Amino acid sequence: MTRARRDPRAERAAAALPGAARARFDLFARCAGGRPRRDPRMEAAAQRVDGAARLRLDRAQTGRPAAAPAPSRAEPAAPPAPKTIVMAAPAFLVAVVPDLAAGRLSPHDRQLFGAARTLAGADGGVIALAGAEGAELGPAGADRTARLAGPEGYAPDARAAAIASTMAALNLRHVIFPETPDGGDLARRVAVLAGEPLFADVEMVSAAALMRPAQGRRVEQRAAPARLITLAADAVAPYAGAPREARDEPLEPSAAPASAILAAERIPADPARTPLALADFVVSAGNGVTDLETFRAVAAALGGTPGASRVLCDAGLMPREAQVGASGTVLSATCYLALGIAGAPQHLQGVAGCEHVVAVNTDLHAAMIERAGLAIVQDAQVVMPALIEELARERGAFA
Amino acid sequence: MKVAVLLSAGRHPVSGRGALPRLEAQAIRLAAALGSARGLHAGPDADVVAEALGRGLSQIDHVALAAGADPVPALAAVLRAAAPDVVLAGRRGQGGDDTGLVPYALARALGATVIPDVVAARPGSEPGVIEVEQALPKGAARRVVARLPVVLTVHPAAPEPSAFAFGQARRGRIERLDVAAPAEPAAAAIAVAEKSYRPRPKMMRGAPAGGSAADRLKAATGGGEAAQANVMVSPEPREAARAILAYLRQIGVLAPPPGAG
Repeated sequence: MTRARRDPRAERAAAALPGAARARFDLFARCAGGRPRRDPRMEAAAQRVDGAARLRLDRAQTGRPAAAPAPSRAEPAAPPAPKTIVMAAPAFLVAVVPDLAAGRLSPHDRQLFGAARTLAGADGGVIALAGAEGAELGPAGADRTARLAGPEGYAPDARAAAIASTMAALNLRHVIFPETPDGGDLARRVAVLAGEPLFADVEMVSAAALMRPAQGRRVEQRAAPARLITLAADAVAPYAGAPREARDEPLEPSAAPASAILAAERIPADPARTPLALADFVVSAGNGVTDLETFRAVAAALGGTPGASRVLCDAGLMPREAQVGASGTVLSATCYLALGIAGAPQHLQGVAGCEHVVAVNTDLHAAMIERAGLAIVQDAQVVMPALIEELARERGAFA
Repeated sequence: MKVAVLLSAGRHPVSGRGALPRLEAQAIRLAAALGSARGLHAGPDADVVAEALGRGLSQIDHVALAAGADPVPALAAVLRAAAPDVVLAGRRGQGGDDTGLVPYALARALGATVIPDVVAARPGSEPGVIEVEQALPKGAARRVVARLPVVLTVHPAAPEPSAFAFGQARRGRIERLDVAAPAEPAAAAIAVAEKSYRPRPKMMRGAPAGGSAADRLKAATGGGEAAQANVMVSPEPREAARAILAYLRQIGVLAPPPGAG
């Protein structure tokens, strides 16, 4: 987080030239570690396009030498880091309880490992308490993993009891939860069960102190790291070091408490009724779509929530709630299918959170085509009926 | 079914004045569908929560407490005496530590089950049972059947609060309860240093550390390395449709074709 402190004396001593009768220093060499010096003339020469009668410049060429990481003068030629960091006997353990929604680590889950590494320092180990097995916990920064045994289905009390008993058994110094509906609920159950205070919604993490907002965000509280912590989203950078071992730590199975929950049934989202901000898959129409009946049929057939660009909403062809972009809704969808959308910057801001983008557009050079993982340069008006036909054909082949 | 609605002295999100939190107004609406409801507030004075009378409660019990005191022992004592089947609460307070622990601590004291993020509740098919609907991320939901007593916290996606009615607010009564709360040993509190809040910039996902403004814009609009992964120029419409469906299935947002698995 903080910049390394400079030691001017050591820097000057390092720049001293040996062998001279009086002290001489090569002070220019010190600059080599910092930003490389620019040569505007050379850059302009590199941008010049040959053969044109008048001066033409290709601004895409920078003409700068490729930035090579300058070796640090203080520690020359450090040996390459081992491929996997193995921590044989950590002095203490910091636990992370990722949500693992659908068995995958979300970006928020990865940030927990960053915070845990900060709190663990060089001596401590990070242990991931996961309900399900995850192969990617080592690269995310876990030294140990422990599988929490518990009944299948919705049983938050049993999970909380398992975590509380693990806390006592492994003598965990800190336990970090994400401040999500699931993680926050679990953290509070554990706090009440273990009788420990909870430092909730932490927005800044350092080895010495944590910071959280309180009193409706009017004050911030700073305290030494508590035992139970929930971490706000996008507050801490994820762990970025070399992969770690993620060795299995055996746990004593604990008895699950009696539950008053008689039945729990998950109801999947109805894409037609889901608000755009919550939707998982959005099918969106832009100015390249004129036949909106077909567009609605495509959205329904694919099981996506219909969205639209500003142009269609301004024209009254789609409701304002369907608008995607900076002045409409900012999406958090997994996939975005853009039909006939060129991709204005304001629209792309609304799509920034989407993991995958599919674009259908006639313009090869549209920004949306550049953003997309799968780009189709074709008229959306002819692709939409083809999509419906293809889905119907698959269904017909089965029947 | 006896219902208690926990009311807290909230703050208006824009003006900062005392106001009833929106979630608690929504809780009153959920409570009306379950049975007779009473409000319960613990704090120095009850003027702030009087708005709840206009939102549909006919009576509020007020437990006088010093500002900054832990409300859980007093609330637990009152609720133990009243023994409601359902306790409804917002997610977290807005004037104290705002940890959101009060519903959980109360549930522990009362031996009740906590069900968070509720958007709908109705009595179950048999007595002593409640059926609630919980909001999950990405628009999904979970229907939970639980044995009473329960403590429910309300999700913002619950039905809108009912409109404020002035006559109802005039008719409603606030009753002051004097509770000799047992002086329970307070849980070891964390020693904190407080100062006024300063918003920090949110970490930007995917932005390189120390990159240029162009790099940050690229990260903000999502133009990453995945760009230009797969471009089909002027394909046959049918071929394009097949490619789109195959891609959607590969990333898992579209169910596999019928008969494939």
